[in-house]
Amino acid sequence: MAEKQNKVLLEVDHLTKYFNTPRGPLHAVDGVSFTIEEGKTLGIVGESGCGKSTTGRTIIKLLEPTGGKILFEGQDITGYSRSRMRKLRTEMTMIFQDPFSSLDPRQSVMQLISEPIREHHLLHGKEAIARRTLELMDIVGLARRFVNSYPHELDGGRRQRIGIARALAVNPKLVVCDEPVSALDVSIQAQILNLLKQLQKDIGLTYIFITHDLSVVKYFSDDIAVMYLGQMVEKANSDELFARPLHPYTQALLSAIPIPVVGGDKKPRKLIRGEITSPVNLPDQCRFLKRCDECQKQCESAKNPELREMTPGHFVACHCVN
Amino acid sequence: MSQKSTNNEGFSMEILKQYRGRSLAQETVRRLFKNRGAIVGMIFLIVLIVVAILSEFIFDYNTQIIGMNPLALYAAPSAEHPFGCDNMGRDILARICYGARYSLLIGIGSVAIGLCIGIILGSLAGFYGGVIDNLVMRANDILYAIPNIMIAVVVVSILGTSPASLLFSLCISAASSLTRITRAAVMQIRGQEFIESAYAMGLPTWKVILRHIIPNCLSPIIVQCTLAVGNNIISASSLSFLGVGIPVPLPEWGAMLSDGRAYIRSAPWMCIFPGLAIMITVLALNLMGDGLRDALDPKLKK
Amino acid sequence: MSDNILEIKDLVVHFETDDGVVHAINGLDISIPREKTLGLVGETGAGKTTTALSVLNLVPNPPGKIKSGSILLDGKDVLQMSDSELEAMRGNDVAMIFQDPMTALNPVMTIGDQIAESIELHQHISAKESFEKAKELLKMVGIAENRAYDYPHQFSGGMRQRAVIAIALACEPKLLLADEPTTALDVTIQAQVLTLMKDLIDRRHMSMLLITHDLGVVAETCDDVAVMYAGRIVEIGTADEVFNATRHPYTEGLFNSLPNLHERGEELIPIKGLMPDPMDLPQGCAFAPRCSYATEACTKAVPELRTMGGTHYVACSAYDNPSFCLRRNANG
Repeated sequence: MAEKQNKVLLEVDHLTKYFNTPRGPLHAVDGVSFTIEEGKTLGIVGESGCGKSTTGRTIIKLLEPTGGKILFEGQDITGYSRSRMRKLRTEMTMIFQDPFSSLDPRQSVMQLISEPIREHHLLHGKEAIARRTLELMDIVGLARRFVNSYPHELDGGRRQRIGIARALAVNPKLVVCDEPVSALDVSIQAQILNLLKQLQKDIGLTYIFITHDLSVVKYFSDDIAVMYLGQMVEKANSDELFARPLHPYTQALLSAIPIPVVGGDKKPRKLIRGEITSPVNLPDQCRFLKRCDECQKQCESAKNPELREMTPGHFVACHCVN
Repeated sequence: MSQKSTNNEGFSMEILKQYRGRSLAQETVRRLFKNRGAIVGMIFLIVLIVVAILSEFIFDYNTQIIGMNPLALYAAPSAEHPFGCDNMGRDILARICYGARYSLLIGIGSVAIGLCIGIILGSLAGFYGGVIDNLVMRANDILYAIPNIMIAVVVVSILGTSPASLLFSLCISAASSLTRITRAAVMQIRGQEFIESAYAMGLPTWKVILRHIIPNCLSPIIVQCTLAVGNNIISASSLSFLGVGIPVPLPEWGAMLSDGRAYIRSAPWMCIFPGLAIMITVLALNLMGDGLRDALDPKLKK
Repeated sequence: MSDNILEIKDLVVHFETDDGVVHAINGLDISIPREKTLGLVGETGAGKTTTALSVLNLVPNPPGKIKSGSILLDGKDVLQMSDSELEAMRGNDVAMIFQDPMTALNPVMTIGDQIAESIELHQHISAKESFEKAKELLKMVGIAENRAYDYPHQFSGGMRQRAVIAIALACEPKLLLADEPTTALDVTIQAQVLTLMKDLIDRRHMSMLLITHDLGVVAETCDDVAVMYAGRIVEIGTADEVFNATRHPYTEGLFNSLPNLHERGEELIPIKGLMPDPMDLPQGCAFAPRCSYATEACTKAVPELRTMGGTHYVACSAYDNPSFCLRRNANG
C-alpha cells in the first residue's frame, strides 16, 4: 500500500446476469463484486465460458444486469435506460476481441474513427473532425496514409489499432478490453500491449482487461480476478496472486501455462481433470468441486463458498484454504 | 483553407485527398468488369433499355405496332421484316422492341415495390425476432405455399387486366422472397461484433440498423433483385400467355407468344422471336446477377 | 537407409492467384529424425500450414503449386507418388491433426464410426472389429468407451480434439502432423491434450511435426525447433540450442515479445513493423526491414543456412562477422 488511495472509479456489487435457456437459467455471471481505482487495471482471467466477457459487457450495460449494482463515479447506473446511458458512452468504452468482425467492413478508417466523435457531437465541422481523426491515428500509431483504407485491406494489428482509436475518440475514463490481443501474432501482440500501457500512462485510463492468457494479464494488471463458472474464485494484487495462488483452480491455471524455457528446473505440471461444467441449473455447492483435487468431504456437503479475505487484499472462495 | 488550422500548421482537408484510395463501390465495379458474362449481360440490357425508349420515336404506334397490314400477313423473315410478320401483318421486330418497355417496366417496377416492402419487413423480422419475426415469416410461408402464378391470376382477376394490376400481382412474390433474404442477412450481421461496438458507442437502434446493418446486407439483396426481375418478366409473360396479363393488342412478349401458338406450324417465327427475346433478357439478367454476386460477395478478398 | 522419417529439401510452393503470385514457401529444408518431435514455429502467413499440406501432397491446386523440391517420407518422394500411393500413404503412414476440433469431425457420424472408418479403410478388417478397436483407441485418449456411440455435438472442445487424435493414431502412422492442435483450447485443457499427445508419441515410437505459434508449447513438447519466416527456415536446432543459444534476430524478437511470467512491468520489446506481403517479398533477407541488426548487405542476398556448431543452423548474414553476437546473448 505504498501508493496513495486513489478515487474509486467503478464499484460493482454482487452483479448477476442470467440468460434464460430452455433448460433453465444460465448463470453467466453470479454475484461478482469488485472496485477499481482511477488509473488502475483490473485483469479478469478465466477460461471460455466462465462469464468474463459477459461481466465486461454487463458493466458497461451492453447487457442488462439481472441483479446487483454498478456504481460509476458514485452514481448508480444499474437502472439507467438505454437513452440515459447514451451520455455515459463517452466515459466508458470497449475494445473488442476480434479485429475482423468488430469493424464495419463498409466504412473507411476515417469514418470508423470519427463515428463516435460525430455521434456525440464532440467536435463540429468536417475539418476539425478530420484533424482529430488524424491525431488519433498518430496516437495509436496508425500511419496517416491508411485514412481512406477499408478494414479488409489492413492486417489484424492495424485493425486493432483502429478499434483502440475508436475507443479513445470520446476521451473515455474507463475502457473495457475484451481479449484485445488474443487474435494477434506474438510480435504484434507486444506492440498493442505496449501501446495500451503507454496510453494508460499518458492519459490516465482505467482498464478492465479481460483475457484467458495469464502471462499477458500479469504483465498488464494491477489487480487480478480469477473467474470460474460465473463466480470470482480468487482476487488479489497481481504479484501476490502469482507468488501465492491460494485457490486450487488458480494453481492449476498457473501451472498449465506452457513456459517458453528449455532446461533449468521446471516445476512439474499440476493437471486438473475434466472440463468446465455447464452453467445451467447449478447446485448450491462449490462449482469447482468435481475437478478439484483438494476436494474434501466437507466441500460436498457445504454450500457455495464466499470470498474471504485471507491476507489484506487477497480474497479467495474456497473451504479448504486457511 | 488554412485560416482555421492555427494550432496544427499546414493542416488542410487537402491532406486527406492525397491518400485517396479506391472506394468500395469502385472496387465492386472493377471486379464486375472483370467478369465477361456480366459484361455481356449488362451490354445487352443497356441496348434493350435504349431500344425500349427509342422505339417510341422509331416506330409509329398506331400503324406499325397495333395497326393491321394486310399486305404482309404471315410474312416470313426477310430483309424488310427481319423477324417476319404476324397474323395481322405487324412487324415482329417492331413489336418486340416496343414490347421491351412492358417487360422491363413490369419486371423492374414490381421488384422495386417488392424491395421496399421486403427490406422493411425483413429487417424488422430479422432484427427484433420474436413475435414480429413469427408473424412476418408465417405470413411469408403461406405465400410460399401458393404458386406465384396462382396468386397473380387471382389478383388480376379481381382487379381486372391492366399493366398496373399485373405490376401489383407480381410485386407480392418479389416482396416475399426479398423479405426472406433480408431477414437472413440481417440476422447474420446482427450477431457481429461491430454492431455491439456501435451500441457501445451510444448509437440509437434506428441508426444502428440504417447505418450498419442494412448497408452490410445489400449485396445478397442486390443479387436477389436482379434474379427477381428476370423471374417476374417470365411471370408477366406467362400471365399474358394465359390471357390475364397485358390486354391485347399491346405488344407484350408473352401475349405475342400466345398469339403465335395457333400458327406454330405455318409461321413459327411468331413464336420463336418473342420466345428468344424473353429467354435472352432473362439470361442477361441472370448473368449480371451472378457477376454481381461474385463482385460483391467474396468478403472483399484480396 | 535414412535415419530421418521426413526430409524436405528445397521446397518451393507458390499460390498463383488472379492478383499475383503468393510466395508461400521459398526453399524450405527440414528433416525429422525418427521418434523425434520437431516444432515448427512462426507467425500467421509464414507458410507453416502449407508445409504440412505439402507433406501430404494436399496443397489445394489450383491456386497452389509445388514448384520444386523433394519431400522424402521414409526415403520415398511424396511428390513423385501416384494417386493410389498417396491415398495409401495418407492416414496410414502420415496422419494430420487440424487446428479446429469443431469442424474436423463429421457431425452426422458417431465418434466411434469415424474412428472405425479409418481403421477399416487402411487395415482391411471387418466393421465390427474396427469398431472394437475404435473403442480401445477412445479409452487410450481418455474418453469412456460408451461415448463411441455419441455424436460430435455431444462432445466438448477438448474431447473432440481427443477424438481427432484417436482418429489420427488409428492406423499407427509413423509421422503425425499436428497443425496448432491446442490453439482453440483453454489452457487447462491444452495442458491435458499436450501431455496426452506427448505420452502417446513416446509410447508408440512415432515422430511428429508440431506446428504452433506458441513458444511455450514448443518448449514443453519438442526435441527440435525450426523457426520459420516468410516461407523459409531462419533457425533450426535442438530445443536447447534455439531457446538457450538463440542465434537469429527474428527468434530473439519472438522471445522479447513474450510477456515474462517471472518479471512483471518491464516494457515488452516488440518486433517493429509487420510480416512482409508474400506477394511482394523484399529483396535479400525477408526479415531485414524489421531487423534491428540489419546492414546493407542483408538487403542484397538471401542468407543461406549455416551451421553454428553441431545441429544448430541459422540463416543470417550477420554471422559473416565472426564477432557478431545477439544482444540477448551478449548480456550473458
